[in-house]
Amino acid sequence: MNENQEKTTHFGYKTVAENDKASMVADVFHSVAAKYDVMNDLMSFGIHRLWKRQTIASSGVRKGHYVLDLAGGTGDLTAKFSQLVGETGQVILGDINSSMLKVGREKLRNLGRVGNIEYVQMNAEALPFPDNSFDLITIAFGLRNVTDKDKALRSMYRILKPGGRLLVLEFSKPEQEILSKAYDFYSFNILPKMGELVANDGESYQYLAESIRMHPDQETLKGMMEDAGFEQTSYQNLTGGIVALHRGFKY
Amino acid sequence: MLANALLSLVERIINQLLQLDPQLKGKLAAIADKQLLIEIRDWQQSILCVYSDEQIHLYSTQERSFDCMISADIDTLLALKDPSMLTQLIRQDKLDLQGDLNLAQGFSNAFAELDIDWPEHFSRYIGDAPAQQLWLSIQALKRRGSQTKSKLENTLTTLCQDELAVTIHPLELAEFKQQNRQLKSQVSQLEMRINALLQSR
Repeated sequence: MNENQEKTTHFGYKTVAENDKASMVADVFHSVAAKYDVMNDLMSFGIHRLWKRQTIASSGVRKGHYVLDLAGGTGDLTAKFSQLVGETGQVILGDINSSMLKVGREKLRNLGRVGNIEYVQMNAEALPFPDNSFDLITIAFGLRNVTDKDKALRSMYRILKPGGRLLVLEFSKPEQEILSKAYDFYSFNILPKMGELVANDGESYQYLAESIRMHPDQETLKGMMEDAGFEQTSYQNLTGGIVALHRGFKY
Repeated sequence: MLANALLSLVERIINQLLQLDPQLKGKLAAIADKQLLIEIRDWQQSILCVYSDEQIHLYSTQERSFDCMISADIDTLLALKDPSMLTQLIRQDKLDLQGDLNLAQGFSNAFAELDIDWPEHFSRYIGDAPAQQLWLSIQALKRRGSQTKSKLENTLTTLCQDELAVTIHPLELAEFKQQNRQLKSQVSQLEMRINALLQSR
């Protein structure tokens, strides 16, 4: 085998060198960071708030817990978690992208959420924390952008405390054929145009639509979580499977 | 998810109330960060209620971790407005209560004593005197509304009972029930006699 042949992965529908994906994803998010919240509301008609709410409802988080909000972006989940864990708990907002982290930090500080939140730039594949550190890890709309998802899941498993749980909120496969068709039309025809108009960046939103299609479906992701060591894994389809909330425990 | 959508609206309204009655925060401080799980049996919904960081958080959840859990039908939960009913409902098996009872009482008392100084809040927008006048007008309107309502109810009752004769008077119903009971006891007597006769043959 040719030693120089690089390992490849997908970037939307394109096949790229594994080493390049992180920086390409980074470019996408540097480009969308400023308009991220507005676009989320526009693209999902505000439903992303309900998906995140459902995640918090399934988190079992309480006072004193240590929470890692991975790929936390502009900090929607962190804002709620910081209220629920109180002064004795802590929330770490982690993102690989400095621009997103900066937007998140500014937003949360403006909301008055200070004291129990830390901001750490990190790679989900090699999380910079000791073993058994967290009661809860959430990764909302982030896993599909990770180059090596299995490695990331193993890394999350390592830093979870026994009894802790991982929640993965991610786009998935719609259950109904008709919904799937409508959703495809929306995401390939309307979404990039919206991105072009509002954020002046149609390409990034084209990548969003493509990366969703390349992401493993509900059962596959559940299997991947089990392979990483998670137990009692389950998932809940939200909005007909457009988004799925996966849950797994470490014992 | 629909439940969580509705709860987010309720949560917003309650948190607005928290802003309007500053004393409420003091009353809720004692139960801060404790989790109250309310299970509504007939709706098959569990609602997690937490007061944290000066806000109420409501979530529809499947989680079973709590400091206090109340499980009952919605009618029973509404009957809990009267705290004296509590022991009676538990004895009748209509209500299941686990954990720290003080937590449930803390929430219930805080909202039962809700006291919003509406004129004070109005005055910020329209000044003291008009705010007071507006408040008095609203009160008067409310009184007139309830008077009109009871008057309308009376008129409707009289119309249905006496003029149109489509419904009966409560006394007639009581009499009918009485006759029914008599008939029932007579039938059961007859049944016993028939059974006795059949056995003696």
